[in-house]
Amino acid sequence: MIELRRAAAVILLFLGVGVGLHLLITPLRDTGGSSAVKAVTLACGLALAVLGLIGGYLVARIPKERLNGVANYLEAMTRRGAVGLMISESEADSLGRLGQAVNRYLTLVKDQIERSHITAQERQIQVKVMEAEKRHIESVIHAISDGVVVTGAFGDLLMANSAAEGILGFRFERAVRKPIEEVIADKTFLALVREMRETGLFTPHRSVEWVQGEGHEARTWRVILNTVLDGRKHDRISGVVAVLHDVTKEKEIARLKSDFVSNVSHELKAPLASIKAYIEMLLDGEVRDEAQSREFFQIIEAETDRLNRLIENILNLSRLESGLVPVNKTDLAVTEILREVCDVITPQAAQKNVRLEADLAPVFFRVHADRDMLYQAVLNVVSNAVKYTPEGGQVRIATFLADGSVVVEVADTGYGVPPEELQKIFEKFYRARASGQVAAGTGLGLALVKHVVEAIHGGRVAVESQVGKGSTFRLYLPAVR
Amino acid sequence: MKPKVLVADDEAPIANVVAMKLRNAGMDVTVALDGQEAYERALAAPPDFMITDLQMPGLNGLELCARLTAELPDRIPTILLTAKGFEIDKAALALLPICRVMAKPFSPRELLARVQEAMGMCVVP
Repeated sequence: MIELRRAAAVILLFLGVGVGLHLLITPLRDTGGSSAVKAVTLACGLALAVLGLIGGYLVARIPKERLNGVANYLEAMTRRGAVGLMISESEADSLGRLGQAVNRYLTLVKDQIERSHITAQERQIQVKVMEAEKRHIESVIHAISDGVVVTGAFGDLLMANSAAEGILGFRFERAVRKPIEEVIADKTFLALVREMRETGLFTPHRSVEWVQGEGHEARTWRVILNTVLDGRKHDRISGVVAVLHDVTKEKEIARLKSDFVSNVSHELKAPLASIKAYIEMLLDGEVRDEAQSREFFQIIEAETDRLNRLIENILNLSRLESGLVPVNKTDLAVTEILREVCDVITPQAAQKNVRLEADLAPVFFRVHADRDMLYQAVLNVVSNAVKYTPEGGQVRIATFLADGSVVVEVADTGYGVPPEELQKIFEKFYRARASGQVAAGTGLGLALVKHVVEAIHGGRVAVESQVGKGSTFRLYLPAVR
Repeated sequence: MKPKVLVADDEAPIANVVAMKLRNAGMDVTVALDGQEAYERALAAPPDFMITDLQMPGLNGLELCARLTAELPDRIPTILLTAKGFEIDKAALALLPICRVMAKPFSPRELLARVQEAMGMCVVP
């Protein structure tokens, strides 16, 4: 097409210039005719020659301009960084075909670029979603109270939550990617993980009990181990996940329950044994006289009462805790309750040769309390003090005001409680390890005291003790002003 | 010569009723109200037979029996009374001269029969 245009331009040029020159020369050569006709012919020839030159030039220029236009358009697109263009395809010449081909090609490129843009955006979104999910899972793992440790195929530490850091004693930031043998000291735990890594293909899930430490510091963990399987057929272990759940408390409760059943059965059987033995003696005619038979009946009566008291104690605490007992609070003087308790305990103390001193304030500190419950609580503390104080010892009861509370203080010179058992003695059924050697009990007395003072009266109980020197119990009750 | 029996129980009514049953059967009975007292009485005058409670303050029945077995030339045949029969360590029992463990509540009549049986005495019906 361009060639055609060039040919047309040359023809136009030659035609214009040729006819123009011919017209120009003719009047000059011709000596006849009017000068006006000569001038017109000369002018026409000049004009034709000029028009031919211009027309030929213009016709020849067209494709170049169009090509320049395309070039300018492409440069503008490049400057804008844009892809996709529409160049004119209207001319049915070779430039038009070129335009069509370029357009088709550019459309393809544009589509592909757009598609890869969409794919890249999708990937970015996917990455963001995965990062968010990872953070989500990590925060869940960090939030749970169970320890979580994840190790890789070679026993290197991949992940651990803060609970695991506390349990196993390391800092994850410093330990990450290190072999766990360099991070964790406990040999038993390390052996559990190693064994799982070695045999996990056959047993991919295992739950083991692991005791950490010894004595009072000992904690029992249920360790749940899972292998992470990899490979096309899941035939390769790529890591081990260990979850550590603290079952110390559950174990302790189970032990306390078992101790309670054991203690209660012993406590219930003791009076029952007396009742049975004395009845059999009466039936077998082993008594000498009427007086002795009366004495036996009195013993049976006393033991029956004791049995009943014991059952009442167990039921009372159970009812108090379940909230079935109606609480009847009135304003009352603590000193009066302490006097009543002293009157009841004095014979018991005298029998053991324990001196009972009451340093009661002349002022009657008043509290808003349930009389019967408070009496029982104070009685339990004072009775315990006498029970766990050896012969020749002393129990001192005092009451005073401190920080808006009426304080009932019971101090003894008894056997004392070891520091590691001090907080446990208020737990239901707990008996200090050495207490069984000294006196009988159900492990319910102090649990009742704590419940009555704290849960029912909004006060608190405190204890200080030194083994071999004695204990001081303080009951803090909100004072009535 | 009356057989000498030591009865140890921190529950006074139990110790007294056992002592009375044995005395009525013609035995010479000494009562101790805890393990330490029983230990001292047995050292001072070794009995022919001992009946002891398991759970006692200070020295329990098994510890009492073990110490007497270690320190006295003759082993004292013993009946152990307990309200916690299922918790006794069988291996510990095997090393001691405990001829029988009786669960509380018990029958004084049966206890007497077991004592007489263990001492090889004729049981009077």
